[in-house]
Amino acid sequence: MSVVSTGLRALVHREILRFVRRPRNTFLPPLITNVLYFSVFGVILGARVGSIEGVDYILYILPGLIVLGVIANAFENASFSIFHGRWNEYIHEVQTSPLSYTEMVGAYVSASALRGVIIGVLIALVGAIMIPLTIGTGVGLANPIYALAFVLVIAVLFAGFGVMGGLWARDFDYLTVLNQFIIRPLVFFGAVFYPLDALPPIWRTVSLVNPMVYMVDGVRYGFLGIASIEPNVSLAVLAGGAAAVVAIDVWLFQRGYGLTE
Amino acid sequence: MSLAISTTDLEKSYGDVQALDGLSLSVERGEFFGLLGPNGAGKTTFINVLVGLVRKSGGEASVFGHDVEDEYREARDRIGLAPQEFNVDRFFPIREVLMHKAGYHDISTTEARERADEALHTVGIYDKRETRFDWLSGGMKRRFMLARALVSDPDLLILDEPTAGVDVELRRDLWEIITELNDDGTTILLTTHYIEEAERLCDEVAIMDSGRKVTVASPDELMARGNDTIRLQLREPPARVPAIDNERVESVDLDDDHLVATASQGGEVAPDLIRQLDRHGHTVVDIDISRTSLEEVFVELTRRDEGDESNETDGTDRADETESPGASI
Repeated sequence: MSVVSTGLRALVHREILRFVRRPRNTFLPPLITNVLYFSVFGVILGARVGSIEGVDYILYILPGLIVLGVIANAFENASFSIFHGRWNEYIHEVQTSPLSYTEMVGAYVSASALRGVIIGVLIALVGAIMIPLTIGTGVGLANPIYALAFVLVIAVLFAGFGVMGGLWARDFDYLTVLNQFIIRPLVFFGAVFYPLDALPPIWRTVSLVNPMVYMVDGVRYGFLGIASIEPNVSLAVLAGGAAAVVAIDVWLFQRGYGLTE
Repeated sequence: MSLAISTTDLEKSYGDVQALDGLSLSVERGEFFGLLGPNGAGKTTFINVLVGLVRKSGGEASVFGHDVEDEYREARDRIGLAPQEFNVDRFFPIREVLMHKAGYHDISTTEARERADEALHTVGIYDKRETRFDWLSGGMKRRFMLARALVSDPDLLILDEPTAGVDVELRRDLWEIITELNDDGTTILLTTHYIEEAERLCDEVAIMDSGRKVTVASPDELMARGNDTIRLQLREPPARVPAIDNERVESVDLDDDHLVATASQGGEVAPDLIRQLDRHGHTVVDIDISRTSLEEVFVELTRRDEGDESNETDGTDRADETESPGASI
């Protein structure tokens, strides 16, 4: 007998179908964005920057762009799906069903994390095509298990945050605020496009409170084998954070936060 | 446990507004139960507490013996809900929406597809199975709401004003479907503004007002509480109102050659009226009895204590107990 109930599978299936059937809204934008990132930052600027820590710049930014894509899409999927369902009240179909609160959260988080991972893979593929064309060498995976583990944990963590955002939002502007004013600045100051050493000491210290730094660093370790922070520590902290966020999601569903009157 | 729904002292407050005020109701398994009440009486709040869309502030509520909070999964699994609002997933064709809903109830994909088709056939919109909800006509949308409630084969079907704004033909179709379901053993909880609907369909009716239960009775019992109008045409118009001695008679008036009396259960009172008039030397040549309507009783019950704010109630008695100002239906 499967540990995953039919009900949970049904909601995961619904959530996955929702983004798979709308590729122009879900897959195409990050693909175009990342082709642009690689073109501008990697190809044009990269030629002037040269290499960082012995790695060509276009290759150096690849892990950060993957993290950026995973985070943005995992978060957006969960927050949009829940908020749209609340806005149009069809989330009642789920709420009034016999699914447990844990199953509800599990479905939203896992489907959203999957979208994040798919986007991460797509970005890696864009890099795998564009990087050899630019620098003549391919993209390797120095520590594939770490790369996969970090991407998975990051996807779950931000899918979990997305659930919170979807429950918290009172209108569509709230989602914009979350994305533009919180997620994006954290990503851009998360050492995606530069090494921490490039910053003055004070800003380097400040950057260490940004969780993105650890995520980018971990994925960079997976792809390039270089890390500023011990990857096992980063992974453990992120995994702990993801578990805590998902547990809070379940608690919010139990409380009916944003869902019940 | 023979009760489909049981609530005790159910409370729900929104700040200063008391949406449910100590509501105690019991609905028997297999019953066709109606909830009547003016706007804001608390009918939808009551339903939403049962299905988990509203958190109660106090009291107890259970469905087939399962507490709606502690055993929410068991309770919700037994319920099919057709709400007033069109709260349907807009991303998918309606057949898939039904399959998803069935899936949430732990029904396998193969069976969910069969159930979805069956439900669409039942409500007569199978041809529209690949259409998204937004593209359905108003009547079809209402039919779909019932299909979605049916797809999990519920033991308790909750219909919140299912025929609001639909044409006569559709209303009768929906009545036929839910009557058949009830005949097959499904318990039905129906809220409606259409008194005729309650009168025609329900075994028992609860009248609610201001979050409280005013009364619970069968439609016939309720109508027996109202006064019928008896018009007796006399051969010769009397000079003054004849003296009538019958405790059931509320009033007697003259309207030209007609004597107009109001009385509870007019059919039983009429023979005595004729006898008494005959003793007074009046000959009755024609008689007409207008039965009270449930609508009149409803208005009477929800207005009875207008201005009588001191009428305290714990909401558990079946006696008349309202303090509703200006009820409207």
